[in-house]
Amino acid sequence: MPPERAQPWGNSSHEAVLALIVLGEVVVFSLLGTNFLSLGNAAEVLRAATPVGLLALALTPVIVSGGIDLSVGSLLGFSAVVLGELWRDGGVPLGTAVPLTLALGAAAGALNALLVARLRMPALIVTLGTFSLFRGLAEGLTAGVENYTGFPAGFLRLGQGYLLGAIPTQALVLVAAAALYGVLLHASVAGRALYAIGFSPEGARHAGLPVGRRLALVYVLSGVMAALAGLVYVAYLGQAKADAGTGYELTAITAVVLGGTSIFGGRGTIHGTLLGVAALAVLHNGLRLADLPTEMAGVLTGLLLVAAILARRWLAGERTTT
Amino acid sequence: MLAALAVLAPSFHQGGNWRDILVGNAPLLLSATGMTLVVLTRHIDISIGSQFAICGVVAGLLAKAGLPMAAVAFGTVGAGLAMGGVNALLVAFLGLPSIVATLATMVALREGLRWATQGAWVENLPAGFQWFGAGQAAGRWLIVAVALAVFTAMAWALTHLRAGRAVYATGSDAEAARLLGVPARATTALVFVVLGGLNALAALLSAVQFIDVQAGAGLGLELKVIAAVVVGGTAITGGRGTALGTLLGVALLGTLGPALTFLGSHAYWERALQGAIILAAVATDALSGRGGSSRPVDVSPESARAA
Repeated sequence: MPPERAQPWGNSSHEAVLALIVLGEVVVFSLLGTNFLSLGNAAEVLRAATPVGLLALALTPVIVSGGIDLSVGSLLGFSAVVLGELWRDGGVPLGTAVPLTLALGAAAGALNALLVARLRMPALIVTLGTFSLFRGLAEGLTAGVENYTGFPAGFLRLGQGYLLGAIPTQALVLVAAAALYGVLLHASVAGRALYAIGFSPEGARHAGLPVGRRLALVYVLSGVMAALAGLVYVAYLGQAKADAGTGYELTAITAVVLGGTSIFGGRGTIHGTLLGVAALAVLHNGLRLADLPTEMAGVLTGLLLVAAILARRWLAGERTTT
Repeated sequence: MLAALAVLAPSFHQGGNWRDILVGNAPLLLSATGMTLVVLTRHIDISIGSQFAICGVVAGLLAKAGLPMAAVAFGTVGAGLAMGGVNALLVAFLGLPSIVATLATMVALREGLRWATQGAWVENLPAGFQWFGAGQAAGRWLIVAVALAVFTAMAWALTHLRAGRAVYATGSDAEAARLLGVPARATTALVFVVLGGLNALAALLSAVQFIDVQAGAGLGLELKVIAAVVVGGTAITGGRGTALGTLLGVALLGTLGPALTFLGSHAYWERALQGAIILAAVATDALSGRGGSSRPVDVSPESARAA
């Protein structure tokens, strides 16, 4: 066993570096941009970051357990479309359509769980399949063109409203989800099991851990979070289309890995993920306000990702065989 | 699974427009052949969609600059080899996990291209560019012939050349391969570079089919290509799979859209069906005793870590 495994929760030096990066971004963009350092803009960053943030939270325990879920972006789109379909075409009141959409997310997550946890198929391939399947169902249902709009104001408040005058509504959703996942991963028996499974599934099995059930839990939760992200997304933009959330899975994975979670499993934290999400969200927002080409964000993200992993390895003396 | 393909295949072939299907899928076949090599070594490359877009634009710009087609082809494939080389450097020599390294290059290359072109298409291409200047009828067959020739060469090399067998050895167990004297690291680097080159050729064969080069080409190509490879029976855990299987995978996924149209259904269900086919293919593989493997296949969740 490599010695650094003794403390899978903490690689505080990595998170300190990441926090410095976020801070550096804030300083640079305050100097470059107009209106960057304002309460209104902070709210705007939070709003824009929430859907990807929810997906990144959901992906953290999945990746910690040694798996991956590529289907979350597609499921976001599928959920958005189903919500629109139920409400507008099905005449279902939103009070019922919202829970139904979350249930759909749970069912979709359960499909991933069945194939990965029960049939023990590789998560990468299973979720690549459901990535196509969910997006395809969204496209099929809407014939590729349908766009659901005109949602009632009460629902849109979830994505556009303020609490106490300054806090965006969906920030509350993000904080609640972060708290839930923080407890799951860092303060529960199930969370410890996830680290053990990610580090060595065979070892975890021999140690008597319920590997299948623990894995099933994170994939079902991931489905629910994707549906929730879909609801927030629709409420934020006021429309539901089949292409909602395209590519979000990769942004979310980027945030998770940037946040210090090992793509091989066994290591990662929720606060690291939140820092990763913040680093990406501030970068996008700052570049736009500073009138710099937003494409720089993609290039910088790529560089940051490679640098973060190399830096972590250098800091921890970690070695990964190819 | 191969039997299932054979049963399914005839329904796609009746009344379908064979020629258009062949021409349309020739680029996909090339990218998928390269991806087969990478997956066989237990790695993955999700940056090929971005590489595809860049190579298409490079081809268009070189042609517009008045270079002869041969030089255009050289330049395009060179660009692909170089981008494959970057991935090779990150994965084989810096030891980054391939899914993360190519995620980084995917985002960086796509956004870099958008930055450089501002999303503008390459238009007003010279007459000699479309269909290689050979006219539509001959150009079509030229595309299919090039793709099939390269595919055949790669399939032969994979089973008959030392380098080809090194790919299987590296993917089965990189450490054991290294101890046996197989240059596992160089092999890993090689497959990424080869994929870059094949993918560039695919971009060229695709670009010459249209009057403009789209800057947004190849979006989502990586997942379609990986799907074709996996449906073709290549294990994501490395070391097991064939080029022929990938050909069948491309044939199945590539004919799905046209087949749906011919069966009177709507093409926008294509993606959902593609997903269902991928799931069915792996499920069949997982349930049927993990299909004729020469080594114990690991399909536990930890296997996904290898990818």
